Amino acid sequence: MEILNVKNLGFTYAGAASKALTDISFTVNKGDLVLMLGATGSGKSTLLRLLKREVAPQGAFEGTVTFDGKNFSQMTDLEGASRIGFVCQQPEQQIVCDKVWHELAFGLENLGCPSSEIRKRVSEMAAYFGIEEWFMRSTAELSGGEKQLLNLASVMVMQPDIILLDEPTAQLDPIAASSFITSITKLNREFGTTVIVVEHHLEELLPEATSLLALKDGRIQFSGSVSGVIKNMSDDRDILPSLPAAVRLFPASCPLTVADARRLIADNYKNTTASLNAPGYSHSDSIALEFSHVYFRYEKNLPDVLSDLSLTVFENEIFCLLGGNGSGKTTLLSAAAGLVRPFDGVIRLFGKKIKDYKGQELRNSCVAYLPQDVQTLFLRNTVREELHGADLSQFPFDLSHLMDRHPYDLSGGEQELLALALVLSQHPRILLADEPTKGLDALNKDRITGIFKDLRSKGITVVIVTHDTEFAAKTADRCALLFRGEIMSEGTPREFFGSNAFYTTPASRMTRGIYKNAVTVEDVSELLRINGRRS
Amino acid sequence: MRRFQDHNPIVVFVYFLLVTVVCVLCMTPTVTLISLAGAVILDSVVSEKRGIGKHLRMLLIFFLLSLLNPFLYHNGVTVLFVLNDNPITLEALLYGVCAALMVISVLYWFRSFSVIMTEDRLLYVFGVFSPKLALLFSMTLRYIPLFSKQAKRINNVQKALGLYKEDNAIDSIRGGVRIFSALMTWGLENGIITADSMAARGYGVRKRTFFTIWKFGGRDLMLLLTELVLGGIVFAGRVLKAVYFSFYPAFESAKPSPLGIAAITGYALLVLLPTIIDIYEALRWKYLTSKI
Repeated sequence: MEILNVKNLGFTYAGAASKALTDISFTVNKGDLVLMLGATGSGKSTLLRLLKREVAPQGAFEGTVTFDGKNFSQMTDLEGASRIGFVCQQPEQQIVCDKVWHELAFGLENLGCPSSEIRKRVSEMAAYFGIEEWFMRSTAELSGGEKQLLNLASVMVMQPDIILLDEPTAQLDPIAASSFITSITKLNREFGTTVIVVEHHLEELLPEATSLLALKDGRIQFSGSVSGVIKNMSDDRDILPSLPAAVRLFPASCPLTVADARRLIADNYKNTTASLNAPGYSHSDSIALEFSHVYFRYEKNLPDVLSDLSLTVFENEIFCLLGGNGSGKTTLLSAAAGLVRPFDGVIRLFGKKIKDYKGQELRNSCVAYLPQDVQTLFLRNTVREELHGADLSQFPFDLSHLMDRHPYDLSGGEQELLALALVLSQHPRILLADEPTKGLDALNKDRITGIFKDLRSKGITVVIVTHDTEFAAKTADRCALLFRGEIMSEGTPREFFGSNAFYTTPASRMTRGIYKNAVTVEDVSELLRINGRRS
Repeated sequence: MRRFQDHNPIVVFVYFLLVTVVCVLCMTPTVTLISLAGAVILDSVVSEKRGIGKHLRMLLIFFLLSLLNPFLYHNGVTVLFVLNDNPITLEALLYGVCAALMVISVLYWFRSFSVIMTEDRLLYVFGVFSPKLALLFSMTLRYIPLFSKQAKRINNVQKALGLYKEDNAIDSIRGGVRIFSALMTWGLENGIITADSMAARGYGVRKRTFFTIWKFGGRDLMLLLTELVLGGIVFAGRVLKAVYFSFYPAFESAKPSPLGIAAITGYALLVLLPTIIDIYEALRWKYLTSKI
């Protein structure tokens, strides 16, 4: 049964010359899980927000939207607020109240529900989502994943028929992201809640989606069933890179999970050549960053965050540091940037102890730190003022078309580039980047990879902290796994991911036991080409 | 085990209101001493801070305040001695002592109040009167840790950029201004998301109701009535001048009367109420566990 019908929808932002959305038509049935795809700026978020009146952007709207047989404009405010739920990207900023229980009740209070009804619904929701344990806590103490789950629960407590999710896992680490996605698919499966979701984290979501909607330049490019759409867009350069590794490898047969792709390879391809001839990696002899037996803790009574940590990064290499939440990755970078001081052990930058750098010697032309939250770097009203006269040609990317924009108005990818420009203005010899791909789509990630390789060719050493195994496999010269403040394994991406069984890339999981050292989609497709199909 | 502070916050709030208001309005040596005794006992029960430091501070305040009065006011008939042609009188001294006792007992009450009435309890009390005010309060409480965390982050990042030297006072002030302005921009930009999230969940659609996890049960009602009855007796005593003490020009005290005795006993009971409840509950707990 149809719940949402969008007909010839067009939208122009107030003050904009051209249309952001043109001629959008689609229908959504009750219980569907619709996945919306598209490059940055394709209009996904605009479309999603237009479907929730309360957060719709200002501008000229045309066409009709019918929700459950009723024209959008005839819906009462009460219906609009309660029957359509909306969750956006930022876990932190969506929370309104200081206590978890109060946040859960917020929507129902707005609707004027009596206290007894709220009590019943809130406790039911808390029990369903497993929030009971932190029901009484302050919202400020929650982790990112818990915050986003709370946001979902405080929307679900209003019992909406449809929920709209705008990149809900973009700011979460992979474990929190997949548990959030499990919650969504569970709601969809168990209660038939209709879901429309814009998301980059597709590996778990794609197999569950009932239909796909691909947008390009404000128009619907493809729509329909998952496998149908993917087969149609097998040569599309914009959207294909953002799909999971399995789909990218076999767009025609469209395996949705790693297990499917594995079966496909094992059944159809030979494995006479088990591994690629990889050129050996040789690093420079001089050391850029060295930790030897470093210990650090934040407070006297807290446990060690870094414990007996030893690590060597050579000059002119890209070094990726992987690890779960709380493994000490960010602390390690802060220590390398001289922002926190270990209580034992020595950190050397280019052979000199950090504490022997005097004054601004360390900050100017030695080390630069790119934080996870790039907005903390922005102080001025325009990009031009931020860069105040820096030579734009020194950056391996182009910012000239953004000069008069406000930093906060830039897209996530553009903000990342501006932040990179700001820290590169220090002319560092070593760049420390904390999760530079967080919240970015595949195209922007590839761009960052390109930029880091460019920087390396200019003689800059890059140390990256990331959760993203595919990005690390593509970008790094060497990778290391940090666990409880210690380095557990390290090596080139092929050695590192090739030998890890669980903490590894999808491509490696797909080929484990069939091929060796195939860690990126490119590796696998090269091997498949060499080996050929079984006859 | 249901301690005093586990009762409905309104009952607790009314309690603190009563004991402090009585203590301020009926400033007689007896009432002030009872109030101080009760306040110190409650403080020692609920306060997490042990040690003598806080009591010494109170003692200091007490001495300063009580000695201030006889040197400033020279009313009273009993002259103790003359200082710089100014008579220092017994009445003024006792008034000073009494007033100082009253002030520190109120300070002790506030101390326990701030420990017992946590943010969410206060919020509930506000919410009963105005749901809007309660929401504002809750949002403010949420923004404080949010902003301080972001300020720390911005500071760190700016430090890493080498924007200011740490050993230069002017530079660090400039840095502070920069962080403040960045924080404001961040707050405004992110406030839009919060506003959207509020609108998306129907803020302003209807008159808000107020939800709370606190209940108002039979025992809350009993405690509230007890407080009001005890408080009422004391007020009656005060209004009918059965509890009365005048310092100037000479000491004059109310004659002992049944109402006067009832009022003083009532106040003593009121002041000890939390302790009595806690001891009773602790004993009951012990009795129950020993039976198992």
